[in-house]
Amino acid sequence: MSSLDELRSDIVRAMLPHVTFDGWSKAALRAGALDCGEHEDIVERLFPRGLNQAAEVYSVLADEEMADAMEAAGVGEMKVRDRITAAVQLRLEAAENDREAIRRLMSYLAVPGRKLLAARLLMKTVDTMWYAAGDNATDFNYYTKRGLLAGVYGSTVLYWLNDDSEGREATWEFLDRRIGDVMRIPKLQARVRKAAGLLPSPFKVLRVLASRRRAV
Amino acid sequence: MTAAAKRAKRFSRMPGDPPRDEMLARMIRVDQAGEYGAKRIYEGQLAVLGQSKDGPVLREMAAVEERHLETFNELMVRRRVRPTVLTPVWHVAGFALGAGTALMGREAAMACTVAVEEVIEEHYADQAVRLEREGDPELTGIVERFGAEEAEHRETALEHDAEKAPGYEPLTAAVKAGSRLAIWLSERV
Repeated sequence: MSSLDELRSDIVRAMLPHVTFDGWSKAALRAGALDCGEHEDIVERLFPRGLNQAAEVYSVLADEEMADAMEAAGVGEMKVRDRITAAVQLRLEAAENDREAIRRLMSYLAVPGRKLLAARLLMKTVDTMWYAAGDNATDFNYYTKRGLLAGVYGSTVLYWLNDDSEGREATWEFLDRRIGDVMRIPKLQARVRKAAGLLPSPFKVLRVLASRRRAV
Repeated sequence: MTAAAKRAKRFSRMPGDPPRDEMLARMIRVDQAGEYGAKRIYEGQLAVLGQSKDGPVLREMAAVEERHLETFNELMVRRRVRPTVLTPVWHVAGFALGAGTALMGREAAMACTVAVEEVIEEHYADQAVRLEREGDPELTGIVERFGAEEAEHRETALEHDAEKAPGYEPLTAAVKAGSRLAIWLSERV
């Protein structure tokens, strides 16, 4: 990470308390720069793509911290299901004090023109979760895994933002149920495959035909 | 312009080309997809010709492709390159191509191997030149080694009467065109 990247991360981190009051705005970003002891105009040069870039810096930073926290928590020893639960839980627990800022960031990202950015950040997050969980899919499962987790993680964040329970217990129960839903899919697939196995293989028919032709 | 200069020009990065990381990611993506497709082609051929006298040769070549695929799978995860979205397509198309040509006869199956391996070999040679420019010794080494092994497969297939296949020219031309399209798609999608 270059020193400029570090400065960007520091400013975005310092920006979060201001976001609670000013929204995901230039004012908050400038205040963040001031808090870092920089001139506030520096944000014009550090963030040429403006608030979108600030959102990107924040999201990627949180992803990296999550990956480190997962390693520290020893996810390598866990079952896959627990690894993914740990990923979501660690990601949200790290943001516990920035809930309001994240709520404002979510409404910033919810504007139609920023849908693509929002989707990209979400994909990057679930991608980091799967890699940190030691996933090594190199076929279409790569996409189904990420797609399913995007649904689980996205809905859990929304639940978490409105959860006032002690220790966010309700959120972790919600998360557990969502992952439970996803885990049912392989079982359903196995049932379908078993049913499909009862049908005659079209390929066997061709093979029989070919061997007959050769025999003639 | 000399041939070498022409070649250098063809492979130098032009404005509008993808940046280095994306370029390397594309290469790993297409190579993994190619080895996956190759593995499926041999599986298709073996489903038909597995019990015939060509079985052992085919199995030997399939084992090499399997090894290639594992190498790229490992590299893909380590470098965090997304696989192609088209894997399910290559799963079916590769098997169908292998089984289809094998059903046309053992010579046609070998002709199919010649065509596919020729395109892959060409493709690896192109990549090796571009990679030298990008400076990625690990990937360069893999690509050069695998390219040589694919060339061996082509020779093996030629020794096994590939050219005696009915309609050898149009058949190989069609398979080559299909393979090139698959390469183009797998780099991007």
